[in-house]
Amino acid sequence: MQQEPAIQTINLIKKFKTKTATGKLFNRKTQSVNAINNLNLTIKKGEVFGLLGPNGAGKTTLVKVLCTLLPPDEGTAIVNGFDVVKQQMRVKESIGTLFSVGERGFFWRLTGYSNLEFFAAINNVPRKGRHERIMEVLKLVGIEEKAFVVFQKYSSGMKRKLALARALLPDPPILLLDEPTTGLDVTSSHTIRNFIKNDLGKKHGKTVLYTTHYIEEVSQMCDRVGIMNRGKIVALDTPDALKGMAKKGEVANFVVKNMSTTQVNNLRVLDGVSSLASEIQDSVLGQIHLRVRLENADTLSTVLDFFFREKIKLVNFRQEEPTLEDAFIELTGTGAGT
Amino acid sequence: MKITQELDKIYYFMKRDIISFSTYKTNILLSVVSALFGALSYAFWGSNASMTSVQNLGMPVVTYLLIGLAFNTYLSQSLTLVQRTINPWSLEEVLVSPTGLVTFIIGSSLWGFIWSTLVIVIYLSVGVFAFGVILSVNIIGTIIVVGLGIGTFIGFSMLGAGVLILTKQGDPITTIITLATNLFGNVLFPITVMPLPLQIISFFVPQYYFFTCIRPMLIGQGIEAILPDLAILGLMCAIILPAGYIAYSWCLKTARKNGTLSWF
Repeated sequence: MQQEPAIQTINLIKKFKTKTATGKLFNRKTQSVNAINNLNLTIKKGEVFGLLGPNGAGKTTLVKVLCTLLPPDEGTAIVNGFDVVKQQMRVKESIGTLFSVGERGFFWRLTGYSNLEFFAAINNVPRKGRHERIMEVLKLVGIEEKAFVVFQKYSSGMKRKLALARALLPDPPILLLDEPTTGLDVTSSHTIRNFIKNDLGKKHGKTVLYTTHYIEEVSQMCDRVGIMNRGKIVALDTPDALKGMAKKGEVANFVVKNMSTTQVNNLRVLDGVSSLASEIQDSVLGQIHLRVRLENADTLSTVLDFFFREKIKLVNFRQEEPTLEDAFIELTGTGAGT
Repeated sequence: MKITQELDKIYYFMKRDIISFSTYKTNILLSVVSALFGALSYAFWGSNASMTSVQNLGMPVVTYLLIGLAFNTYLSQSLTLVQRTINPWSLEEVLVSPTGLVTFIIGSSLWGFIWSTLVIVIYLSVGVFAFGVILSVNIIGTIIVVGLGIGTFIGFSMLGAGVLILTKQGDPITTIITLATNLFGNVLFPITVMPLPLQIISFFVPQYYFFTCIRPMLIGQGIEAILPDLAILGLMCAIILPAGYIAYSWCLKTARKNGTLSWF
């Protein structure tokens, strides 16, 4: 028997009306934009699922629909077996949510502990054992020593960790984490990612929906990754399989000497070259680093012929495995943070 | 929905607000000093003023003024209570929790009421202990009138909060109600001192009935003395409170649908 999914969306649509200025006073044009565009997505129970997409892809909108904050315009969203429109309370009891600006939802004059005490009460954490649960989640995210410090004195990392602790408080089976590491330093991001992957995912078997525009994050910690663009999932698979999607093109790195701008531009439009990025590697030696995406492996000889014909000296050459970023760029037509 | 669970939530809303409030010590001090100075100013004026229209009501001017002033503060607090709970970020956090709207409104408002009650005590204490104001409280009658007054003003407050959620800035409801209270509300002067057309407007303003009812209850009159006005106040409360709730829920739902809840 097939296991019931933790999260499922069927033909989900969320529209927003946007007003744009026409240049005339009091004359604005209203447009309807599909922030989520006929989305079909299934996340399995116990899965750490990464949702990757550029800004404006619809990731936060999806999280807000799943946590019942935004009602969908069309289609269905089911969380832990409950409909986000018809069974809102049951959905809310099933989830812990961390918003991308989660720290702003705290009360800055209260201590971290008092904040969690408040959120524990409104999230139906039983009074008996509430103190123990608060201390437990504070310990899990590693800020139990700062429990009785006023929130406004917390660092950005501590605020994020407290937001994560708040999401964990009711011990929900599903966690919706919207860009939980945004604005954090490398160490704090690493700690949170490890915690999500090892503690929440592997040890406690939680289902995690993790949105981000940092490719390395999902590459390291997620079981599956969905790439979202313009409200749609444009690719969905394991990180390795997604990297494979970019493999239809090869990536080659060259370090060349004495290559003019015109020659770089000519190489860019050469048959079989999909894209080219160049940067000066050593201005004194006149060396340039070229990262060339080729349509296939055979094109490599065409590029080498070009160098020979143009009398460009090849200093170094290295072929590269495609990365998740390559897949991301290919599928969304945009760059992302790494 | 378990009642004990909801009471527990209301308690923690109140605890949150008390802790936050207690950290603003200068503000607490200034509020107390303002209440004392306000009460003293009106008490000095009232104890030396002569207003036939007030004396015809069977009470000294100072008593009339202090009761009007004290309960006007109370109603003003009630009027903005729901608006003050609209912190867009924490509102989202509360709305994704399994906490109903009624619990949210009661919980968020409770400390404001308790503090307003303490301010009323300051006003009336100044009158009683420094100016010889004699109060003889009809407890049941006072509770009924205050309950209906609060209910009406919470209705207005929800209406104003709903408008604020949609407009983000600018809530005409609160402004109109405040202006109407000051002029037509029977707060600091009886409406009989105004021209007849303005007096007629007063009869459509719930504040008029509130202040007409509360004063007799604080100087020991029986509830039968205010029954017609109390009935009208009750009717207004029965209309405005649910209307405010419906409007607030609708505005909240609309803002959620449009995705503009946190656009402040």
